Amino acid sequence: MSLSIEQLRAQARDAFARHGVPTRRLEHWKYTDVKRALAPLADNLLELPSDPMPVDALGDELSIAGLDAWRIVIADGVVLSLPDDPPQGVHVASLAGQLHAQPEQGVAALHFDEQAPLFNGLVALNAALAGDGIVIRLEDGVRLDKPLYLLHLSRGKAVHIRHRIQLGRHAEATVIEHYAGMDAGLSNVISRLHLAEGARLHHVRVQQEAVGRTHIGRVEAELERHSQFVSHSVALGASLSRVDIVAELRGPGADCRLDGLYLTNGRQHADHHTVIAHRAPHCRSREMYRGVLDGRSRAVFNGRVVVHEGAVKTDSAQSNANLLLSGRAEVDTKPELEIYNDDVKCAHGATIGQLDENQLFYLKSRGLAHEEARQLLTFAFADEVLTGIAVPALRRHIEHAAFSKLPHGEDIEGMLAGHDGTGEMA
Amino acid sequence: MTVLKPEQAASREYQAGFVTDIESDTLPPGLNEDVIRHISAKKDEPEWLLEWRLEAFRHWQTMSEPRWAAVDYPPIDYQAISYYSAPKSKEDGPKSLDEVDPKLLETYEKLGIPLREQEMLAGVAVDAVFDSVSVATTFREKLAEAGVIFCPISEAVREYPELVRQYLGSVVPTGDNFFAALNSAVFTDGSFVYIPKGVRCPMELSTYFRINASNTGQFERTLIIADEGAYVSYLEGCTAPQRDENQLHAAVVELVALDDAQIKYSTVQNWYPGDENGVGGIYNFVTKRADCRGKRSKVSWTQVETGSAITWKYPSCILRGDDSVGEFYSVALTKMHQQADTGTKMIHLGRNTRSTIVSKGIAAGYGQQSYRGLVRIGKDAHGARNYTQCDSLLIGDRCGAHTFPYVEVKNPSAVVEHEATTSKIGEDQLFYCRARGVPEEDAVNLIVNGFCKDVFNELPMEFAVEANRLMEVSLEGAVG
Repeated sequence: MSLSIEQLRAQARDAFARHGVPTRRLEHWKYTDVKRALAPLADNLLELPSDPMPVDALGDELSIAGLDAWRIVIADGVVLSLPDDPPQGVHVASLAGQLHAQPEQGVAALHFDEQAPLFNGLVALNAALAGDGIVIRLEDGVRLDKPLYLLHLSRGKAVHIRHRIQLGRHAEATVIEHYAGMDAGLSNVISRLHLAEGARLHHVRVQQEAVGRTHIGRVEAELERHSQFVSHSVALGASLSRVDIVAELRGPGADCRLDGLYLTNGRQHADHHTVIAHRAPHCRSREMYRGVLDGRSRAVFNGRVVVHEGAVKTDSAQSNANLLLSGRAEVDTKPELEIYNDDVKCAHGATIGQLDENQLFYLKSRGLAHEEARQLLTFAFADEVLTGIAVPALRRHIEHAAFSKLPHGEDIEGMLAGHDGTGEMA
Repeated sequence: MTVLKPEQAASREYQAGFVTDIESDTLPPGLNEDVIRHISAKKDEPEWLLEWRLEAFRHWQTMSEPRWAAVDYPPIDYQAISYYSAPKSKEDGPKSLDEVDPKLLETYEKLGIPLREQEMLAGVAVDAVFDSVSVATTFREKLAEAGVIFCPISEAVREYPELVRQYLGSVVPTGDNFFAALNSAVFTDGSFVYIPKGVRCPMELSTYFRINASNTGQFERTLIIADEGAYVSYLEGCTAPQRDENQLHAAVVELVALDDAQIKYSTVQNWYPGDENGVGGIYNFVTKRADCRGKRSKVSWTQVETGSAITWKYPSCILRGDDSVGEFYSVALTKMHQQADTGTKMIHLGRNTRSTIVSKGIAAGYGQQSYRGLVRIGKDAHGARNYTQCDSLLIGDRCGAHTFPYVEVKNPSAVVEHEATTSKIGEDQLFYCRARGVPEEDAVNLIVNGFCKDVFNELPMEFAVEANRLMEVSLEGAVG
């Protein structure tokens, strides 16, 4: 790498000056007015971040309850502590530390690509300003015994973070990125993931930023031969959130699953853009995104599957389903297929509608009130996305957060809890 | 010395004298306001239409060519096109079928086209008896009896000015898009159809029979109005490859359906697709839109697109009236170096509006094919329903099939479903056929026809038979 960190930062600033904050005139931002959301910050977007907030007991308070994990707290974009004794073969460093000690690797971690799909000014801004993040490398064959849990607490006006996670051959890990911003402002996070041959990574994003905050997230995953990538993106908080997930299937036999859930109410706006690029033969991809919208909220889903020349025997399926609970909510969905090869099996589907009348009737005939039946089915609809999450504490945490967002969710949660405890309906 | 303001300078061109010889048959290439005045004068048009054209032209000058479609072509020089030429006299055409390209005749033969029609399609000077007596006149009489107006649009401008003025541009406004604006400024001909209240048009209307206006040119404008309770089925184009010298085609079709009216619009498009290397071929940039203005109105688009080097076409329905219905059935085939970016827009505005989209794309050779569609459910479209199915079939490893469906929903009582699949011809299906002695090419035809069946079923019967044969002929050599 020939660039110095100063050169890279300057290049990124130039790119940001050229592209600016995306406007709705760009096809990939036509439904999401991030420029308006960032208007209060517009004049000081290029300012360097302020000192981090004091964390104290907040870290424990906002952590996922009962989660047994390697916890790393990142406050206002600064890594506060690293695990003292990571297991053999696991290398955890902070980007700030690496930029100081091994600038070349730091530059590699901050690298940005203007040709990348969904590239925009916010990516450049991140490259220009991100001062810290986590750099993790798992050696070949290493299995992380418990999840790596990245808790992001942000109070600052604009926080830019860059993570880099590399899994060696046949390594396995679960990484949870939890966003719990507390004030208005911008969180702009990019995670770059690399899965070597046969590696398995479960990547979970739980976005619970405070209302008023703008959350911009981006996940870029590169999958080599026979690697497996599972991604869950859960969007619950923030006034405006936009998450781009790009999975590049570069080696034969790679397998990728992108799942997502967005629950919005009030005036929230949640946007997911995903790209699955099949570049090698015999790869498989599955995608399921679901959303429940209430109030005057709006959700956007754009899922693109590209099958390149030579990616024969591709098997791809994608679905997006949405429930609108209110007459003032809006959903815009666009499942795209782009195929340059004939030996493929690809399908996608999108639905927008209401709960199934038959299911409602069934529950009502078993004695549930109409509203209860509706809420139960709404929850079940959302919960299906979470079935792939194998960490019980994490799943409970998301379910609990989901309940508290659904109308009368607490009642259903109580009902189900009673069911769990006694084996009978309460 | 006074400096002219831009608008004065613009009008000066006119003041300087409208010198173009009104009797000349072909205008030199180029486009400016004088050319439009000339076209308008040639057509003996009223003042309001000229103003309308000029307004479109001025708007067009501020617009830029759309580049978002997944098609690739060199820039078009709009000043290199001649925007008016009188219909070619019959003497210029071939004198008999012996002078026609044998390849073309071979295709006609395969499609089973009668000799007379072959002559007409190839541009052979057809004798007067066939031209005037047999088909056209009898049809005209029958239509007049029912009160149906079916004539070239230039004739309608003169004969039924109030109808044309009321509806022209009311569905596709002059500034709607780049190609529609261009069309509005320079359109030279097209069809006009008006079905009066409660009338069921006694026959299927077809441009094919409108012999006197067969040289419709490259900027065609069609306007169809179905008054309350009326019904009409309109066929456009024909299955046979048509000889055409113009490369750019930018047509506009406007349909208006009032209360309880039904319009069925079927297209078979088989213009010259260019040669094996992708040289030449027609650019088909069409704006088609239907306005279901009335309650319980229904518009159904059916299209079979096999020709043209590039197709850019999105027949749309604006479902304004309560309980109105929009349908779109499409088969598009791209082979060799053909590119097609086609689909539909269903804009649900009224209550209980319903729409169905069935799109079947087949890509072979180096063909690139995109489905691009929009389903929008407005705030007040309670109980709206949409079902979309778009399937693509790929033949060969150099072709591409893409799907870009936009779904925008603002009403919680709406139900919208979108499904799409892309795959190659089933190997087991092919194997099954071949095991029973069906040659590979026939087997492929069989499978393709089955794949397209949902759409062909929507075509008027005689068209459906031809469409089947057309697919066979088009796929020839694409397999293997």
